[in-house]
Amino acid sequence: MVLADLGNRLKGALSSVSSGSDDEIAALLKDISNALIENDVNFKLVFRLKENIRQKIDTDSFKSDTVANKRKKLQKAVYDELVALVDAYEEPPQIKKLSASSTTAKGKKKLVKKRESHVIMFVGLQGAGKTTSCTKLAVYYKKRGYKVGLVCADTFRAGAFDQLKQNAIKANIPYYGSYLETDPVKVSAEGVAKFKAERFDIVIVDTSGRHKQEESLFSEMVQISEAILPNQTVMVMDGSIGQAAEEQAKAFKEASDFGSIILTKMDGHAKGGGAISAIAATKTPIIFIGTGEHVADFELFKPSSFISKLLGIGDLQSLMDH
Amino acid sequence: FLSKFTSYFGSSINIDEVSKQFHEQLISKNVAPQTARQILDRIKNQLKGKSVTLANFKKALVDELTKTLSPNVSTDLLYDIKAKANRGRPYVISVVGVNGVGKSTNLAKLAYWFLQNDLDVLICACDTFRSGAVEQLKVHVNNLKALNANMNSNAKIDIFEKGYGGGDHVVATAKAAIQYGATEKFDVILIDTAGRTHSNAKLMAPLKKFGDAANPDKIIMVGEALVGTDSVEQATNFNNAFGNKRNLDFFIISKVDTVGDLMGTMINMVMATNVPILFMGTGQTYTDIKRLNVKTIVDNLMR
Ligand SMILES: Nc1nc2c(ncn2[C@@H]2O[C@H](COP(=O)(O)OP(=O)(O)OP(=O)(O)O)[C@@H](O)[C@H]2O)c(=O)[nH]1
Ligand SMILES: Nc1nc2c(ncn2[C@@H]2O[C@H](COP(=O)(O)OP(=O)(O)OP(=O)(O)O)[C@@H](O)[C@H]2O)c(=O)[nH]1
Ligand SMILES: [Mg+2]
Ligand SMILES: [Mg+2]
Repeated sequence: MVLADLGNRLKGALSSVSSGSDDEIAALLKDISNALIENDVNFKLVFRLKENIRQKIDTDSFKSDTVANKRKKLQKAVYDELVALVDAYEEPPQIKKLSASSTTAKGKKKLVKKRESHVIMFVGLQGAGKTTSCTKLAVYYKKRGYKVGLVCADTFRAGAFDQLKQNAIKANIPYYGSYLETDPVKVSAEGVAKFKAERFDIVIVDTSGRHKQEESLFSEMVQISEAILPNQTVMVMDGSIGQAAEEQAKAFKEASDFGSIILTKMDGHAKGGGAISAIAATKTPIIFIGTGEHVADFELFKPSSFISKLLGIGDLQSLMDH
Repeated sequence: FLSKFTSYFGSSINIDEVSKQFHEQLISKNVAPQTARQILDRIKNQLKGKSVTLANFKKALVDELTKTLSPNVSTDLLYDIKAKANRGRPYVISVVGVNGVGKSTNLAKLAYWFLQNDLDVLICACDTFRSGAVEQLKVHVNNLKALNANMNSNAKIDIFEKGYGGGDHVVATAKAAIQYGATEKFDVILIDTAGRTHSNAKLMAPLKKFGDAANPDKIIMVGEALVGTDSVEQATNFNNAFGNKRNLDFFIISKVDTVGDLMGTMINMVMATNVPILFMGTGQTYTDIKRLNVKTIVDNLMR
């Protein structure tokens, strides 16, 4: 399972609380902090999380509570803080189908403003999994009845268009790209215009990998974005990324103002902690996680159920809300 | 970071306290916590019972990091290739690693380097899984052919590929390439392989088969500087993937240009396996492959 090691350690730490004494709580907080740090979560975040938990239980009612209740409250505090770490408290946009753009209200046909295709631009570091995730997302929406097109605006990487094309053909998704054009701004604008004219619901634009240290690559990203005016920009991030995650994510946020994150390579033992730090630094929701190389290895991300699964505690939220 | 200590520089220190501070320092540079602990434990052992100043401690750490990154075997690949030139078989090098780290790109950089050194290079496309992997190498070979023509070099470069396929296709392709490379008298064969998750046994098992069949002179793992603590397990698992008689020969650490001074991944991978770093990748063009400047890296880690 995703983050299995972290999950086991957190579970272990929580279950070792037996009397709820101050010493035990100190040990618990230390265990949790170590587990998070060893999973690449940024120091500062871990420190804040620890302080928040400490504050939550620093009440007279907690101190005088029964051991059983103390354990429950501790678990809830840990759970809430972990959810807060991965939750940006923001929903990704709901995409409407163009075919549904004229609706009938009270028997009369109501005219709705003519809607345009929803354009999604993918950005991220080299090799993060953008091209792969583009097709996965296209297939996800296609299965839900959307008409989706893929545009390859990576004119830099060797074989980039062939990669997207082969993926698109396998998944039976219309695609656009060029072997000759070397200007990604031009290709992306042409591709988006084509699919818009053909009234596609969603157009997904794949771009080259880039990093903040190379300014020209960032300005190219801004130019593409200005040419296609995406409704949504997705940053694709490798789940095994370490301490460089935060800086890179902040720089991408500033330059591209991405609104959602797809976390890839969460199969195997990917720690995901570096990425969690990036999410906390950019306050941007994860929308999907990639769990393998195949198109179907793609899961919708929900912070609360992700953390519940991690802690192996079922749906704690609904339990607590009662 | 060190300014905190300068006040008691010169006077003797509490080793545990200082060790804890350096632990945090190393982790912030992307050294895995367990690796940082290993290094600091070594230093604590060395300094046990002595009266230690901050300067002593720091020097011991610099020395330890320097030793870790300094290869204890020859990394003179060109020499080795020339020494083994008359075997009737090309010198076979294979790159392996997890997904998207830069195997194919750094393989192309190696090819460029060999061409510059007058070696005939055959690139073999044994990533027969990922979409576009074969075409990616074809583009590189075409680019390199053009560059090579401009350099007025006599060396030649070509690609050997048998398209995509699963099962035994990889092993068959590699074997055929080596045969072809021998007949056509290529000096070096560079075999690309598919990226794979290091903890997925189903994907790792075929590496052993591949290693046995191709019997590469050198197996190089490409690891990326961006990856965090997972790098320890990645290096360990790939080093163990070829059976108990065969290890990795070298690492290439890619994407070093994307991490600033957070260069801890190198320490993680070398500490976990004792495998030396041959090159680091510092960009996306053919010349972005560099020898390690150990001192600069250690300075970055200590900064
Ligand atoms: N195991 C695993 N591999 C993945 C996942 N997503 C992508 N990959 C693999 O990661 C590698 C890189 O993926 P790409 O989609 O080419 O990455 P990219 O971001 O488009 O790369 P550039 O365009 O070069 O920047 C490929 O081998 C993919 O098959 C995932 O969720 N799990
Ligand atoms: N900035 C930077 N990018 C690099 C470096 N090396 C490779 N890349 C980029 O990383 C991305 C992935 O490189 P590939 O060579 O396709 O990686 P791979 O390991 O062969 O990927 P798979 O075969 O899909 O597993 C490409 O966009 C490369 O241009 C490097 O040293 N620095
Ligand atoms: Mg791509
Ligand atoms: Mg490759």
